[in-house]
Parts: sequence; structure tokens; C-alpha cells
Amino acid sequence: MTLPATLEPAAWNPTICIVPFYFDNGLTLLVVPDQSVPVVSLQVHYQVGSRNELPGITGISHLFEHLMFRGTEELGPEEFARILQAKGGEINAFTTRDHTSYFENLPSEHLELALRLEADRLVHLKLDEENFRTERDVVLSERKLRSVDNPLGLVEEQLFATAYTQHPYSWPIVGWDQDLRRLTLKDCLAYYRTYYHPGNMTIIIAGDVAPEAARDLVGRYFGDIPSPGRPAFPKVIEPPQRGERRAVFKKVSQVEAFLAGFHVVGLDHPDVYSLTLLSAVLSLGKASRLYQEFVRPGRVAELEAYLAPPPWTAQDPDLLVFRAIAAPGTDLPRLEKDLWDSLERLKTEGVSEMELARAKKILKAQTVQGLAKNFFRGLLVGLFHLKTGDAQRVNDILNCYGAVTREDLVRVAREYLREDNRTVVTLQPVSPEESQALGPLA
Amino acid sequence: MTLRVPEIYQVLLPTGLELLGVEYERVPWVSLTCMVKRGAETDPPDKAGAADWTAEYLTLGTVRRSQRQLAEDVESLGAQLQARAEYDATYISLDGLAEDFPVLMEILAEVVQTPGFPPEEFPLLKDRRRAELAQMLDDPRELATRSFRRLFFGGAPYGHATRGEPESLETLALADLTAHYAREFSAKVTSLVVVGMVPQDRVEKEVRRLWQGWPGGGPASPAYTAAPERLAAPGVYLFDRPELTQSEIRMGHLGLPRHHPDYFPLRLANYILGEGGFSSRLMARIRSDLGFTYGIRSRFHFRRAPGPFMISTFTPAENTARVVEEITGVVRDVQEKGVTAQELAEAQSYFVGHFPQSLETARTIAHQVANLSLYDLGLDYLAKYCERIQEVTLEAAGLAARTHLHPEALSILVVGPAAKCKSALENLGGVTLLTRI
Repeated sequence: MTLPATLEPAAWNPTICIVPFYFDNGLTLLVVPDQSVPVVSLQVHYQVGSRNELPGITGISHLFEHLMFRGTEELGPEEFARILQAKGGEINAFTTRDHTSYFENLPSEHLELALRLEADRLVHLKLDEENFRTERDVVLSERKLRSVDNPLGLVEEQLFATAYTQHPYSWPIVGWDQDLRRLTLKDCLAYYRTYYHPGNMTIIIAGDVAPEAARDLVGRYFGDIPSPGRPAFPKVIEPPQRGERRAVFKKVSQVEAFLAGFHVVGLDHPDVYSLTLLSAVLSLGKASRLYQEFVRPGRVAELEAYLAPPPWTAQDPDLLVFRAIAAPGTDLPRLEKDLWDSLERLKTEGVSEMELARAKKILKAQTVQGLAKNFFRGLLVGLFHLKTGDAQRVNDILNCYGAVTREDLVRVAREYLREDNRTVVTLQPVSPEESQALGPLA
Repeated sequence: MTLRVPEIYQVLLPTGLELLGVEYERVPWVSLTCMVKRGAETDPPDKAGAADWTAEYLTLGTVRRSQRQLAEDVESLGAQLQARAEYDATYISLDGLAEDFPVLMEILAEVVQTPGFPPEEFPLLKDRRRAELAQMLDDPRELATRSFRRLFFGGAPYGHATRGEPESLETLALADLTAHYAREFSAKVTSLVVVGMVPQDRVEKEVRRLWQGWPGGGPASPAYTAAPERLAAPGVYLFDRPELTQSEIRMGHLGLPRHHPDYFPLRLANYILGEGGFSSRLMARIRSDLGFTYGIRSRFHFRRAPGPFMISTFTPAENTARVVEEITGVVRDVQEKGVTAQELAEAQSYFVGHFPQSLETARTIAHQVANLSLYDLGLDYLAKYCERIQEVTLEAAGLAARTHLHPEALSILVVGPAAKCKSALENLGGVTLLTRI
């Protein structure tokens, strides 16, 4: 039987079409056309994240992301979000270690409005002492939510602070509590002038739009905005770790746990595909090694090996993190030793063809599934562009996974998952009284 | 371009099993869901989690395959097998690449129709659930939501967590799961939802081949539709967690069932009150004006029987009483004065404009199709959805708010450090201290 082409999986082409435009003021526009649904994802990425901060002003990138919603000469606080939401839009933003990104997923007929408002807040952001202080309180509440009162939040902060001694990945994106309290409106305005201009930004428009029409619209609203040129950033390289580092974090908890991080690579390094597949062999799915060895028999509530997959991997060398939450009654030191023994077996005995094939198929399936969403397609393109300068790598993801061999997995396990390259932070439960005696959490 | 609302096809098998499908062209994906229209509300009073543990048990081995074999066979296709009970229904779903459709459908049929219930898996499941529970109770947000539900509904069917309560670890036995399966997994209350890059005739053929000989068990429990007889008294309840820096706050009262005629006006009124993010009054007041929280939302949980209306937020502990007061004021304002014409128009425009995004992926379409079957909304529900939103008048939204919001009867649970918030809360009225929930 002949199927209609649209319902024939073999006829489907996964290639993402990318149409680039470069404006004289330094702005890059990448259009990712797709006419399946009358929706576009507009993404405005500024190439600045917590990596560009300095001790004393940690958290400013994320705080500033909040301030971008606090109004302009034309709009009141949060009116930006309200107007676009009223058009059916999903409006939000996120800050990472490497970039700050704003997005509007909305009916394609409202793309122009979204572009106009993005340009408005890029040029005419209006901040005063009062809305600065209010928003800083919001961020302090967010920090308490995500880090301080979160079961493993402060443990994870301790892990990165211990593993990185010189590189800015040592501090959390949300920033240290005392830095947030110290930051001033003046700091934020200086930050705005340095990093928020066309020379430091990329716009992605994915979905129901013709490339030339998108170019004309972007040109209309952003083409005349001046740019002082790309800010210069010092390149910081974390020195190789020369010996295991360990720390203990005591807090009120029902469970014992540990986080262990190994320095690996950034997105630009070819080993990122082997390392992602290695993590998948170890802990993705219920047939994975660590699930079968530790989770299924109930020794842990959770045990995973995680490295953000391309293109979510950090720009500079990241940590591959093992996160182990022990089941009540499990002996934590024993659990940790058994985990490292299991890794040693992998390094000496290798992985089976079936394990690797399973991991590849899962990652392929996840990629295909994600391509249904314009938002996801746009992010894939945008993040490769921001972190490697080459958006077309998005069309090579499946090939890169496909080329990884069993030998590659053993090689990267031996090269990166070494004791000398490891940092371990253990969560040690204490009573509320002991916790109070240790001083306030912040 | 304009939106094409997916066409839904329906096939009824002689056993009573219903097939609902959508041909989906966007990516070569297929989403298969077996929905049994009985869920955690059928858990016996002292056996919370029976439905959900049963669902997971189906994935722990069939008469032909062990847990490991099944996991390997599913994951070697890159597919995801998930099983869980919610209130009102249990979902066994298998999502994967469309090229694997015949194998995926065979596996799903095998999992649902011929579970092995291997006894050696039971102690392992119990240990996993014990570990998971300990971990969850460390998370103040999870703890607060679970505690509110338990406090508010007591022993009524929506009062326990779907995944079970601490007591379940001692009371649930394998026999409870096999009994649940034998009783509730009946073709008469089951729908298969198939959304994917697979033509209708091929889906129909496979479904008939694999499912028409399965009547399942039964008779299933009568559908739970009544409101509970007793609920927690309104007032402030405080659960002291001295180690926390923020208070988790849950406030609510009884809501409405899904079939209530005020569903659309109330959804719109609640979007304006607290579901609409930065467009909501609660967010505008508590976050944008006062900076007291990072997030706040209100939600009516529309189920077969009346579910809870619940407001959730958190704030640095010293603000707790002020936040409770402010929230009550915002709810009272919406209840007394209704919403404005502009707010309503913007809310309607949001729901209509956002609708196409809910049709982007096979999974989100499957979710909507399953829901319209579960709550008998009619096969034309998606096609008429935007119209129903647009026909809500300002009077209807105002009346819905006036009738169904009860600011004077809120049950308020605070999970936080009593030393920093108790005395201010006492100024609002009596505070009931909870030592365990």
C-alpha cells in the first residue's frame, strides 16, 4: 500500500533549514522556517551569563534578566509579558552560565508586536530604585527556593565551588546571597550598557514565517540600534585537577546523599557525544547499568550520571555529575565504593554493542520527538550558534552520535572518570538543633 | 496560515474498548496511551497508592518477559514506557518512533493484558517507594502540597497522594495490586489513544488484532462523583519546620467537578485571579508590587468529583502572615467585584491564541484526546473549544467568581519555621499547630 507522503516515516527529512542574516550593527538573525502550525518561537539571546560575572557581583546576569520585565518608557512593570500573553504567547526567559535568553512562543500573526516590544526594552528599559529593590527581593526568594530550602541545592553549589578553583563556573547562576544584597541599580545599569546591544545578541525566529519577511521585520526594529561592538571577555581556563577533593555539607534531611563531579569537556569538543552516550549507558532508562545495579534493588532513591547533552552542554569544560540519593538504611560509603567499582568494571570490561545501540536509539528518539516543537528547534539552532559559532552543527547531531564506538566510551571513561579528577560532596543529615548551631543557611 | 484542528477518529470494539486516534504528520513519532478510567480515587482507605503501584507493576514483567527484558526491548527502540495512576484514571503509555508502531503496539497490549506480577519484584518496588518517599518529604513544596491534600480531604478519595502515603509501605501487599488489576482493568472502562505518523487503517487493524480478544476484568468500581461529606474546617494550620528559611503556603477550598456548566467562565476568572502568570492579580500583587515571592498561582482541579481549589506560593518566613492576608484580599476582591472587560478579553485571547501550541506534539494531542474521553466532552470538543472560550460573557465570569470563590472559608496551611511566623499568623485568628500530617 502506498501511504500519503506525510504519514510515511521513511520520507521524513530531519534536516533543519537555517537561513542566516547579518546586520551591519553586528546583529545576527537566524530564521528556521516551518509551516506546520501557525506559531513562531522568537528567541533573543544575549551572549552573557554567569561566566561573565566577577566575585562580588555574582548573580547580576540573572537579576538583570528579571529587570528586563520591569518596564520601559512606554510600558509599566510586567506589561511586556501581559501584552504578549494576551495574544496567546508563552513568555519567559532564562539565564545560563553562558547566555541570557528571552523567548516568546506565539501565534505567527503577532511576531511583529513581539519584535517591537523586544526592541523597546533593549533600548528604553526604565529602572528606578523602587522596582530594582522589589525585583531583588523576588530573586532572593527564588534563591531560597532553588538553593537554600531545596534538598540538594546547597550541596550542588558546594560541588561546583569546590571543583572549580579559578573558572567562573564555580559560582551559581542565581548568585551568592550577599552579592545579591550588595548589588545596586548603578551596577545593573552599567551591565545593561555593556552587554545589551546588537553586537552581543542573536535573534532566532523558528516557525511559520518567510525568511525575508522576518529579515525585514527585524531590520525595521533592530537595524538602526547602535552597537559599541562585541565586548571582550578574558578566557579563563580551569587548571587540571590534581587529586580528589571532598567536602561535607550538613543540613536537616531525611536522606543521605552525595554528588560527585568529574571535569569533562565543553560543547565544542568532539568527546561531548561519547560522554553523553556514556551517561545514557550508565543511567538513562530502566535497562541502564546504574538503574539495574542500584535503583531497581532499592539501594537508592535516585542515582544518575548526567552531562547536559549537546547543545545544552556548557561552552567551557563542564562537570559530569553523579547524583546519588541513598535509600533509608543504605550505607553511604559502601554505596559510593560500589558505584566507583561499577565504573572500574566498565573501564576494564567495556560496554556491550547492545548497550551502546540502546543509548543511541534513545538519544535519536529524544531528538526526533523534540523537533515537533518550534521552540526546541529554535533552541537547538541558537545554542549551537552561541556556543560554537556554527549553527549548522544541529544537522550533524545524529551523525555524531552514530559515529561513536564502544571503544570511545571506554576511552572517555578512562580519560575523564578518574579519581584524581573527581570532587565529592556528601550531604550529612543533622537535627534541626544541630543545624541551627551551625549558623544560618544562606 | 490557519490552524487545522486535528480530526479524531473513534472505533468501538465489541468488548467496550474504545479506540481514539489522530493522524499526526509533524515528526515520525507515535504516542500510544492505554487509559483505564479508574485511578487513585478507588484506592481503599488504608491502601493509598494501590492504583499507582499496580500501574508500575505492569512494567515489572509480563508472562513472557522479565522487568529487565521488557526494559531492554522497549529502550532498544528508543521508546519510553510509563505507567501511573492519577485521580480518575490510570495511564500506561508507550511513546516511540513511528517506524516501530507495530512492535510498540504489541508491547503495550502485552503489558496491559498479560502482566506477570512477579512476586520477587514486590519487595524491590516497596524499597524504591520508601526511598522515594523519604526524598520527597525533604522537599518543602512537595511536603506542603501533600500535607494540604491530606489535611483538607482527610480520608476522602482525593485525600491521599496518588503514589501512596507513608502508611502504605506497611499496608500494601501484592494481593492488593492483583485485586486492583482484576477489578479495575476492564475493557468497558478503557480507551486506547493513538496519535502518530501512522494511518488510521493500520492503527485500526493492529488494535483489532491485538485488543479485541481482551475483555479484561471487572466489574470496575462505580465512578466516584460525589463531594466528600467532611472537610477540614477553615482556618490557619501551621506545621513547624524550623530549618526552613521560607514558608510554603497552601490555601484553598472545595472546587467543582469537570462537568459543571460553569467550567469555562470559571477557568477564565481563575486565569485572571491566579493562573495567568504575570497577567494574574495574585502575581501582580504578591510578586510585582510587593516582591514577596518568586511565584504564586491558583488552580481549580477539575475532576470527576469536585476537586480542590488551591493557591500555592512561598515567601521568606517573616512575610508569611502578610502574604496570607494579601492573598485573601485579592481573592475577596475578585469574588466581590468580578473581573474587568479588558481582563476577560485578554484572558480569552490568551486561551484562543495559545490553543495551537497545545497541538504541536503527539503527546500533547494525546493528552487532550484522552481528557475528552475521560470527561465525556464529545469528539467535537477541540473543534469547538475556541468558540466556547469566546462566548463567555463578563457577567458569566463575574457570576462564576462570585459563586465559586469563598475567601471567607479558606483552609490555610503553612509549612515553615514557627519561630518566625507563628505570632503574626495568630493575629489573623486561631492557629492550629500540627505535629504530624
